Amino acid sequence: MRSLDIKLMRDLWRMRGQALAIGLVIGAAMATFVMAMGVHHSLTQTRDAYYDRYRYADIFVNMTRAPRSVVERIAAIGGVARAEGRIEQFATLELPGRISPIRAKINSIGDGGASSLNRLVLIRGRGPDIQAAGEVVIDKAFADANSLTVGDRIGAIIYGSRSNLEVVGIGLAPDYIWSIAPGELVPDASRYGIFWMGEKALEAASNRTGAINALSLTLEHGASEAEVIRSVDAVVGQFGGTGAVGREDHLSNAFLTSELDQLEAMTRVIPPIFLLVSTFLVYVVLGRTIRTEREEIGLMKAFGYTNWAVGWHYLKFAFAIALIGIVMGSLAGWWMGRSMTGQYAEYYRFPFLIFQISPAVFAGGSLLSLASAGIGALGGVRSAVRLTPATAMSPPPPPVYHAGLVERLGDRAGLTAVGNMIVRHIARWPGRSAITSSGVAMSLGLLFAVIQFIDGSRAMLDNYFFRAQRQDISVTFIEPRNEKVLYDLAALPGVIRVEPARAVAVRMRHGAVAERVAIEAANNDDLLTARVDSDGFEVDLPAAGLMLSRPLAAKLRVSAGDNVEVELLGGRQTQTVMTVASIIDELIGTRAYAQESALSRLTRDGAPVGSANLLIDPLQRDEIITRLGEMPIVLGLTERDAAMELFEQIIEENIMSMMGFYIAFASAIAVGVVYNSARILFSERAHELATLRVLGYQRREVAIVLLGELALLVAIAVPLGCIAGYWLAQLMISMFSSDLFRLPFAPDRSSYGFAILVILAAAAATAMIVARRVTRLDMVRVLKARD
Amino acid sequence: MAVHGDFSESDVRRAAFTGKSLRKTYVTGETEVHALRGVDLEINAGEILVLLGPSGSGKSTLLNIIGGLDRPTSGELWYDGKELTALDEADLTRFRRANIGFIFQFYNLIPSLTAEENVRLVTDISDRPMNPAEALELVGLQDRRHHFPAQLSGGEQQRVAVARAIAKRPGVLLCDEPTGALDSTTGVRVLETLANANRELGTTLILITHNAGIAAMADRVFNFLDGQIASIEVNQNRVAASEMTW
Repeated sequence: MRSLDIKLMRDLWRMRGQALAIGLVIGAAMATFVMAMGVHHSLTQTRDAYYDRYRYADIFVNMTRAPRSVVERIAAIGGVARAEGRIEQFATLELPGRISPIRAKINSIGDGGASSLNRLVLIRGRGPDIQAAGEVVIDKAFADANSLTVGDRIGAIIYGSRSNLEVVGIGLAPDYIWSIAPGELVPDASRYGIFWMGEKALEAASNRTGAINALSLTLEHGASEAEVIRSVDAVVGQFGGTGAVGREDHLSNAFLTSELDQLEAMTRVIPPIFLLVSTFLVYVVLGRTIRTEREEIGLMKAFGYTNWAVGWHYLKFAFAIALIGIVMGSLAGWWMGRSMTGQYAEYYRFPFLIFQISPAVFAGGSLLSLASAGIGALGGVRSAVRLTPATAMSPPPPPVYHAGLVERLGDRAGLTAVGNMIVRHIARWPGRSAITSSGVAMSLGLLFAVIQFIDGSRAMLDNYFFRAQRQDISVTFIEPRNEKVLYDLAALPGVIRVEPARAVAVRMRHGAVAERVAIEAANNDDLLTARVDSDGFEVDLPAAGLMLSRPLAAKLRVSAGDNVEVELLGGRQTQTVMTVASIIDELIGTRAYAQESALSRLTRDGAPVGSANLLIDPLQRDEIITRLGEMPIVLGLTERDAAMELFEQIIEENIMSMMGFYIAFASAIAVGVVYNSARILFSERAHELATLRVLGYQRREVAIVLLGELALLVAIAVPLGCIAGYWLAQLMISMFSSDLFRLPFAPDRSSYGFAILVILAAAAATAMIVARRVTRLDMVRVLKARD
Repeated sequence: MAVHGDFSESDVRRAAFTGKSLRKTYVTGETEVHALRGVDLEINAGEILVLLGPSGSGKSTLLNIIGGLDRPTSGELWYDGKELTALDEADLTRFRRANIGFIFQFYNLIPSLTAEENVRLVTDISDRPMNPAEALELVGLQDRRHHFPAQLSGGEQQRVAVARAIAKRPGVLLCDEPTGALDSTTGVRVLETLANANRELGTTLILITHNAGIAAMADRVFNFLDGQIASIEVNQNRVAASEMTW
């Protein structure tokens, strides 16, 4: 080993604390990068392999009822590789001891569970016999949530008649990676299951012999999805087609994609923050090291080492520190990625999991880490290269203090001599002080920006469940009903108020852009539901025309006053032009609203009740639920409180489990910054601190000089961190927003408080470790040396 | 046991050190350095004592032990009836704070504080200190009190250090090569100031020097060799600091 490298190793060992502290910050960058990219990559790979192996279709369409022969007509469309039809039938289940309604969506399938598209993955048992009336395969999540297994029997009401189902298998399918009951906001595997039943058996049970109501297809390579969708819609229109969608709009895939997009967004926001801080830390620490090694640099150059060799020596020092972070971060990122991928696999329903972090992810993360350390080193390396031997070997000029603004302010504030030492030292090194404060501020901001997601989720919950939805129960009907049903519901004992609701599937077109959307009918005198904007204010429906949520308006490129073509999907293919009367900023979904009167002019069907909202006497809840469950026209029930509870639970489980990571990472920044500042401060001031000890200052009084300066810098960091957190939160919210939901910025004051406390605790603990060095200060040795 | 409260100002003027068999051994790596090899001494209150001797002869070690900066490996040291060698770290600090003024070869001023603030550093924590301005006046620097160390000459900086040392009215002034970094005119000026403190405040003055000429102002001179006091000279004809040259 060359002697300069030996020096490098020893320097690193001597400065191991500081190197480790910077390594920790770089490690946090590397870990979040590897984790997020790794999970993203693994999930994408898993998804793609799953889609490929089990033939996930490219286009999906639902209809009211079509003869099976329509499949051949669809298959004949140019660009369609393969088409397959099936029946999708909702059923109400009866599980012993459960009052709240449980629903299943039963899909027809070929003999033994065979199908050419959206193939069933059998985990246990066998596929259903094509004829056997009661045989079903149930999805794994539902089986797990309800402790059901092969051989169990489930009572069900299918198409109004009661039957007894036997579980013959447990399975998964690529079109149900994520599923949610219609009308629900939160998926609940315990109350909604996906079932598969033999085709003939389901035809008989649902009164659809020789008919289908759902169709899916795959595209030939290079075929245009949009064109095929147009052709498919033209064919299925007469059968009540509700508009074909590609994978992008297929619910299961759309949800998974939005999650993957969020992971990718994370790699673009969080690692750069850590890298930026580590760049500054390397800048400060290497700068200080080079100042203290001035004479050695002079000596090296005097002995004949080139400028380049000296510069490279210090650059290697920065790279070595980065390497510590890369190793730690890679291990942590790999481990975290694995556990997170496992969590995702549990939440989404994959039959297998490909956990794989490509070497390119490690290489990319390493390169970024090395680059940020290298950039941080440039300033110091440049000064080392520029030093001439003669200058280097003479001692540096002492720090010069002048009576400036800070000094006059200090006098006016009546500071003690020690107070002046603190304030003036900060003013003497403004760059470094700024880096310390802004580093701590970054850690605070990052932590806050993450915590506020919980507040945002809660605010969204509050906005939706308390302001927009005030009903106790929503009842969805198998088919739209006329108003008579409202009187039937109102007659149930304990029902206080009943309001109708419905959503009509349409395609909206503006210029070349078309979107499939449901127009929700409402009345301004409704008491149980309201349209609430992101600030929590109720927004009235326009007297005529449509109200669109902002993301929908943006997609269609319309603003208030524009006209859109509205094509009714399913049933009559009416087309009309409606005016966009207003735009609403909502938190959930891409939605459209109209007055019921405006909507019925479009549908002209006399069956305006698709669902009903109920306000009930809570004491009679069980009775009402039972009575509703017995009504054959009822497809499903949603209880607001249960949904809200479930949502809370998801927030707790998913977000809180990440909280530990983020607290650790954000603290890593604070620890890295404070530790290095404290060590530099200590080494710069060792002489002064020893002098104070000699003059009769006690250890704790001397430690105040050190801790006071850090405390002041951290105190400055707190308001800065709150501002940084505010901006970072806005940035992260905008990156994490999707069509499905947009989190509001609604931080609880306690989130600022919590973030501040965590960072202060990390800073204080770190500072105390360095302050302990004051006790080991060797007064005699320090004073013997010339400052 | 003796505590800091015992070192009250009334005791200060009768200050005297008694040392018995003081030994100090430094262990660095595998080598042992015997800096003091059993020193017995008596230092009288109010005297000017000069410690002379070659480098490594043990005079700085003794000065540090007397000043409470360091502890002997063995032996006893008493100050005015209290055993310093039995004090803990915090009590030693209190002892320094109450009784000892230090002056070093390289001044050890705090660069971020003005002359007056450097003095205030000591008066802030003393019981009955001088006014910092008054202390600076005693060393003739009243006009430069708002200057920072970097704006002062070496001699001026050392006089600030002297002002800082005497501002608390210490019983003992310990000076390690106080003129080592100064030219002779400036050095004499600093010595004059120290002698004044000794005369007017009754402060015991203990000086380390390589400069045998300075011994002329002492009441007694301890000659150090190999960690021991080789001889003690008593000066019958003290010379005033102002009359010295070197």
